[in-house]
Amino acid sequence: MADVGDEGNAVSEPLDLVRLLLDEVVLVKLRGDRELQGRLHAYDSHCNLVLGEVEETIFVVDEEDEDEEIKTVSRKSEMLFVRGDSVVLISPQSRS
Amino acid sequence: MENGTLTQSEGKDPSVFLGEIIGHPVTVKLNSGVVYKGELQSVDGYMNIALEKTEEYVDGVKKRSYGDAFVRGNNVMYISADS
Amino acid sequence: MASSLVLPLELIDKCVGSRIWVIMKGDKEFAGTLMGFDDYVNMVLDDVTEFDYSGNHTKLKTILLNGNNICMLIPGGEGPVGVESP
Repeated sequence: MADVGDEGNAVSEPLDLVRLLLDEVVLVKLRGDRELQGRLHAYDSHCNLVLGEVEETIFVVDEEDEDEEIKTVSRKSEMLFVRGDSVVLISPQSRS
Repeated sequence: MENGTLTQSEGKDPSVFLGEIIGHPVTVKLNSGVVYKGELQSVDGYMNIALEKTEEYVDGVKKRSYGDAFVRGNNVMYISADS
Repeated sequence: MASSLVLPLELIDKCVGSRIWVIMKGDKEFAGTLMGFDDYVNMVLDDVTEFDYSGNHTKLKTILLNGNNICMLIPGGEGPVGVESP
């Protein structure tokens, strides 16, 4: 790639977008109705991830009610590893 | 065509199609049924996808927006060019 | 010349430019004009109808269909139309 200009910001392949998110707070959607929000410390080509200061949200359907309303379960971790095959989507998270 | 090897003389290869739609609005449908609409930044050989100005639709209902979004290729069912 | 032997991918190559019916693993089906494909049988389809498990039809102009979840290809097929549903 003989790209002229600022190579640090070039998105020539999808994983470049993930590279730009290093040290940023990201939203990661996982298989099985789970989401993580945390700071992206590391990633590889399989989308294995290391996240810090993570909040995990799990969406569960409460079948006791007839309405089957959706509940969320949250928990926090200081740091965790995500195996790439469960990753669906990675996006920058606007800090609140 | 007498040669035994694959020929791709006519029509569009997947790579040609992708080259044509980069930078354009696309619809990406995942195996789960979730749909992402956005501007296609890039795709790689795994069908990993980078989208800009992304909107998420579940059962046809808009759920969320993302500035940028990386979608892991194994979840992708199809990429459609919005026309 | 082993002219009687037709490799699977050669059969698909013969379908380029014509209508094709794609049955996915799971309940989804597509019908469209095959514009091209690669070694993974990822396919570019034009003038596509997507058939849902719930009986919905969705029209799409051009798609790149991931070959990963394709189960079966039927040359000349127009999808599950006029087919008795179970």
